[in-house]
Formats: sequence, C-alpha cells, structure tokens
Amino acid sequence: MFDRGSWLQARAAGRDLLLSTLDLREVVTPTPVSPLPGRPRGIAGVVIHQGEFLPVLSWGDLPGCEVGTGTPVALAVMRLRLGIPLDRLVGTLDLGPEAWRETPEDDPWRPWVDAVGRVGERDLPRLDLDRLITLLRQFRGGR
Amino acid sequence: MDPSFDDVWAECEDLFTQARKTLATLKETQPSHVVQASVNALFRTTHTLKGMAGMLGFHSFSRAAHRMEDIFDLMRKGRLRSTDSLIETLEAGIQALESGLAGLRRGRPEHEDYLFALRRQLGELEALARPSEGGNQDLSSLLDLPLEALKALSEYERTRVTTVLMQGTSIYGVTVCLEFATFDERLRTLSEALSAGGELISTLPWEVPEDREGLAFLLITACREFDPSRLPGLPDEILGTSLLADPSRVPDSLREEATVEAPPVQAPVAPDPPPPPVPVQEVEILRLPAHRVEALEARLMEVGQLRDAASLLMREPGGAGTERPLALMGRIEDGLLEVQKDLLQMRMVKVESLFARIEPMVKSLSRDTGKPVKLSFQGGDLELERNLLGRLTEPFLHLIRNALDHGLEAPSERLAQGKLEAGSLRISAIQRGRNLRFDIRDDGRGFDLALIEARGVALGLIKAGESHSPERLYRLALEPGFSTQDRASQISGRGVGMDVVRAEVESLGGEIHISSEARRGSLIRLTIPLTRAVVNCLKVRCGGFGFGIPLGSVLRVQAGPHIIHGGSQVEVHGMSLPLESLQACLGLPEPDGQRAFVVLTQQGASARSVEVAIGVDEVGGRGEVLLRSLPDLAHSRGIMGASPQEDGTLWVLDPEVVLGLAMDSLMRRVARV
Repeated sequence: MFDRGSWLQARAAGRDLLLSTLDLREVVTPTPVSPLPGRPRGIAGVVIHQGEFLPVLSWGDLPGCEVGTGTPVALAVMRLRLGIPLDRLVGTLDLGPEAWRETPEDDPWRPWVDAVGRVGERDLPRLDLDRLITLLRQFRGGR
Repeated sequence: MDPSFDDVWAECEDLFTQARKTLATLKETQPSHVVQASVNALFRTTHTLKGMAGMLGFHSFSRAAHRMEDIFDLMRKGRLRSTDSLIETLEAGIQALESGLAGLRRGRPEHEDYLFALRRQLGELEALARPSEGGNQDLSSLLDLPLEALKALSEYERTRVTTVLMQGTSIYGVTVCLEFATFDERLRTLSEALSAGGELISTLPWEVPEDREGLAFLLITACREFDPSRLPGLPDEILGTSLLADPSRVPDSLREEATVEAPPVQAPVAPDPPPPPVPVQEVEILRLPAHRVEALEARLMEVGQLRDAASLLMREPGGAGTERPLALMGRIEDGLLEVQKDLLQMRMVKVESLFARIEPMVKSLSRDTGKPVKLSFQGGDLELERNLLGRLTEPFLHLIRNALDHGLEAPSERLAQGKLEAGSLRISAIQRGRNLRFDIRDDGRGFDLALIEARGVALGLIKAGESHSPERLYRLALEPGFSTQDRASQISGRGVGMDVVRAEVESLGGEIHISSEARRGSLIRLTIPLTRAVVNCLKVRCGGFGFGIPLGSVLRVQAGPHIIHGGSQVEVHGMSLPLESLQACLGLPEPDGQRAFVVLTQQGASARSVEVAIGVDEVGGRGEVLLRSLPDLAHSRGIMGASPQEDGTLWVLDPEVVLGLAMDSLMRRVARV
C-alpha cells in the first residue's frame, strides 16, 4: 500500500505532516477566510479560489489538533475542493516503501492519517484526504 | 427549421464528434476495460441520438440509430468482437447517420433507410452475433458465489464475466459494509478505485453482518493484478476480499473454441504497469451569437479605458486627490458586475426551451401509440444553466417516453375506468431556494408495485416474502438494467432509461423522487441545484454578517423605535405574527434586541401559507447579486449560496429553510416555557 511518491512536508496544527502531491492541486497565498454563519464543524469558512468558493479546514475542530494562533503562510488547495491552511512549508521529498509504517494506535490524528513516514529522526503523519473528507461529512451528519 | 431546435442540432453534432473520437480509440491497443467503457459510451450515444431524432419527428433516422445501438449492445455483451472490419463498418454507419442528419437540418426529406449502403455488412454482423443453437456461453457459474447472488447478475454482467474469464483475467469480490450517512459517497470512491485498476462488473447488495449496522455490498471486479491494500477503504469498512473466479478453471475446450472462432485483434495487454484510469473529459461547449461576444468585448474595453483613466490620474504630479479616482473605481466595479451578469446570462437559457423539445415528441408519440394526450407546461419563464439544459434533455425524454408508453392507458381502457379519453401529462418547473424543481405528472395507471417487486426478486435485488415499502420499490425502478418490460420497443423498455435518469440527475447534485397511486397516476420529481443565478435580494445585517434575502419571499420590511425579541409577536397590518431573530434561526449568538424585521412567506404560496417575522439588526438596500452555490462541505442550513461583495461576503438565505428553522426555534422556545 505504501507507494514511492512525492510528498509535501508542511506544518499545521502544531505538527509536521505529509501531504500527497497527488492530492494537491496547488499551494496558494492565503486570503482572509469569510466565516460561515452557523458554520459546519470542521470548516472555518470559505475563500474565493479561481472564481469559486473553496471551503477551508478548521484544524481546531479536529480532535487532537492545536488551534492555530498565527496567520497561516499558505493554503493547500486539495482535490475534492478543500483548502488546508498550513503554518509552515518545509519542502517536498520522496520516501521509499521502507520509510512507512502504520499509524500508532494512540495517535489522536489516526482518524484521518493512514500511515506515518520516517523523515530524519521523526515519524511524520501522512494525511489521508478521503478519510478527512469522510470525517468532515460525519461531523455535518452529526449536527 | 424551427430555431428553438438549435440546441438539439448542436448536441447531435457534439454526439457525432464524440462518437467519431471514441470509435478512433477502438482502433488502438487498449486495456479491455477501456475498450468496454468506449463501447458503452457509443451505445449510450446512439441511444441518445435515437431519442433526439424521435423527438424531432425523424422516425426513419431514429430506426437507423436504433439499429446501430443494437450493434453496440451486441458488442458490449461480448457477442461481437472488436475487429478492424467491424470498426470500419461502425464508422461508416456513424458517418451515414451524421450525413443524414446534416441533410435533415438543411430541410431535406427523410431517407427510407440511412444505412442502406451498409445493409449487407450489418446483416452479417447481426447474423454472426445471433445466439447459436444451445445458447450463449455463460461462465458466471464459475464465480464462487451463492446461487442467489449468481441469479442477481444481469445478462450483461454474465456476458462480461464470461468474456473476461475467456480473456484470462481473474475476477475478485470485495465485500464492504458502509455507514448509512455516507454510503453513497464511499461506494462511489470504492467503485472508482476498482474501475481505475480494472473493470467493475457488478455491485450487488450483500447481507449485513449481525454485529454491524449500515449497508453491505459485494463489488465484483475483473483485473490482472489485485491488491486489496490499495483500496481506499476506511477501517472496518472492508469485510473481506476473495478470488471469485480463476481463468484457469475455464474448460480448455471452451478456450480453444474461442481462439479458433475469432481471435481479438488487439494485442494482449501487458500486466505491468497497471492500466491507467479511464480519462473522463467533460467539456461544456457554449454556442453563442457572435454579436453577444462582441458586446461583451466592447464592455470590457470600456472597463479597460476607465482603468487607464484611473491609472493616469494616480500618476498625475502632485496627486489627483481621492475623489475622482474613487469615482472611477466605482464605475469600474459597476462595469465588471455588468460583465459578470452578461457572462452568466450567456450561460442561462429559459426552461421553455426544454419544454419546446418535449412538445413535438409528445405529439409524435401520441400519434404512434394511439393515445391522445393533453399536455401542459408551467414555469417556462424560469432560467437554468445551458449545460444543465443539455444534460437534462435526455433524462426528460426518457421520463416522457415512459409516461406515455407505460403510464397512460389506451383510450378504451381509460373510458372503461371512467377517465377522460385523453391522458393528462403536466410538466412544471418551480424554483425552490437554490433548487429548480421539475414535476412530471400523468393521470395514468401508476407504477405497478407488484410487478416491480416481482422483477426485483427475480433480479435478486430484494428478497421474496419480505415487506418492501413503496419508496424502496420505486428506487428499484431506478436501478441499472431494471425494466418490467419483456421486450424493448422503439419508445422505451430497454431498461437503460431510468438508471440513466438517476445517474444524470445525481451527477448534477440533484435528486429524483417517485410517487404514484394505482389507477390515479404518477409524479416524478427532479430537484436540480443551480450553481449560479442572479438573485434580486434585500440586504440585511445580523450578528456581524451580511445576508441577502430573495425578494420573492419578502412580504414586508418594518423598522420601528421599539426593541423586539425572538419569541414575541409583532403587529403587521392588524395581524399578529410570530417573530424570531435571524440569529436564533441560524444558530448564532442571540441578540439583546432588534428594531427591524422582515416578514417572510413561502414563495408562490396560497392565502393559508406560513408567515413569520424575522428579526434583523439592520436593513440595507436591495439589489441584484450574482449568486454562487457553496460546495458541499460548506453547506450551512438556511444558506443557499453566497456572493462576494465589496464589503465582504453576502450570504444569500434560502427563505423556505429559514421559515422552517424559525418555526423550529419558536417551538423550542415554547417547549422551554
């Protein structure tokens, strides 16, 4: 299941994480988010991207995530139309199959992380976009 | 020729262009599942051409398209192998139809037989595909599945099982259990993943394990390399994977026979690397009169000149102050809004142009079936996006054909039941919030639920002896390959219609709902969300947000010196109305008090409709706004879309939903007391 590929290493919600470049449409400079009145959990609001509204993830609504205090430096525009605010961009990297292992049971990010990748001395969580979107839909259904 | 059919001609041209491209890809070496997808696409294309020609009253052309559709049907069922000579014949057939249609458009009379020049080749193909004595090979019994599941496979699915096994491809099963709330989305994700790596042959309902809740499915897929760990399943979703059939179990005698009979022309596909996903290209084509584009160019030129003037002023030595540049900025903004509206207008078309396509078809079908029909339309003045019109036409035609063919009874039967001799078919469009709702009503015999149930049991979609709600049975009628008709007709009954309708409506983010009453008639309701619209709004502010309320639902705006609170009553023209704050409706922090309110009512409502006063912090002006829909993840109850404005985002309210939210909130207040 663990593919060789390109990964974007970034920091968000207090941790470094890996985003698949296959899921990534582009990385743009963040613009102010218009908060949604009565916003659904998990979505901070919307920004205009290429003439359309793009929902922006609210990290603070996800379990185990720190609420961002500063202004994000970038917005990752993902497939399935979701914007993910990033606090820091580290760079892209390739990881071989041997670098990956299962997400630890006690990792609070497990619901939307499908593996951790060894980068240097650290295990970085790999965001699974499909799981994240499903979680956001579940939040909405549970309201 | 009637200019209202310009869109139909344009769509036919697009269909032919697409068909030529798809046929050309069949000449290249392709993975088998890509070939299958192409043949399916050609089958649907000819099916659509048949329907459109029938709608235009070109019955000979419709028959010719029907014959081509049959050939593609034989191909997709594996009864005809894709060879160079077959593709050449099909290309010639499509070319003959295209030329024929071009002639018809120029006003030439119909040919008796558009495929006359190909009669010998087509006859040979049909003879070749005719089942031999003893029937067709069916290797579906090799699938390691319970008998009930095998029975549920359609003829098409059985032929695909047979074909892929003969080609040496293994068949795997994936059983999944999905949550009720998200099963459709998850099933789509899993299906897409399986289609990308092979051919998804069938999706069958499966038994839910005792310790689980949700919906279970078995996905049957054919692929050369199956790696379950690559499936995008969430933890606990995938119950199991298994090899259902190994091509090595195909008897040698059958394999030899197949090899001798007609080897496929295509070179064998290398197993490594795995085949890429089938590319899906959806390009919206707009056809516009040149003068509209020229007018838009002129308007943009004006905006450009205003920008140049503003730029010159800013560079003036000593500065130009702020007044003149600001005035110019205002004019630039007005100009850009006009450009946006023009662009939107180019994408919009009146619903009546959809109705105009339906009317001649109904007349023609009425004549052919001997069933007089009283046809009526409502809501033709509403607008919808041009691309929606293109995509809704074929589903509409299917539904109308079904209503006439199966819904309305013959005149003698109607008279015997005490009905009017002429059947009634009413088609209406109405805008409800951000949705356009189409109702197709007939006063015919209604859906035969017993027949649907029996057919569902026969197909293995439901179990015999269990109780099934009418809603469940209506949904069955929308399943692929489901038809209660024993034979296909020129009009309907192929079983390709209703699932196409559902797929198309759902791909637009819409819904289809069926209701029916025996001997009284049927109602099919299509709800389609609009992605863009120009809406005339009353602008208000509340809780720090800017909102737009569509004027069609605003009965009155009132502001006074008194502080009002949610849950109280206000006097409007001598009537006492309940009042709720907009904040309470939308789940925002409750205000200390408000001085203004807007009386909302249901759009197009009768005298007995619900009227509620909605308290707001501030009432602004009114104006047209360009509404954009919000993506699914950003949907918030009561808001149907938004519009970027100079001073921030204007959230456009869905008055129907806000009325409901207000009533709920008021009832909660009463319950607390």
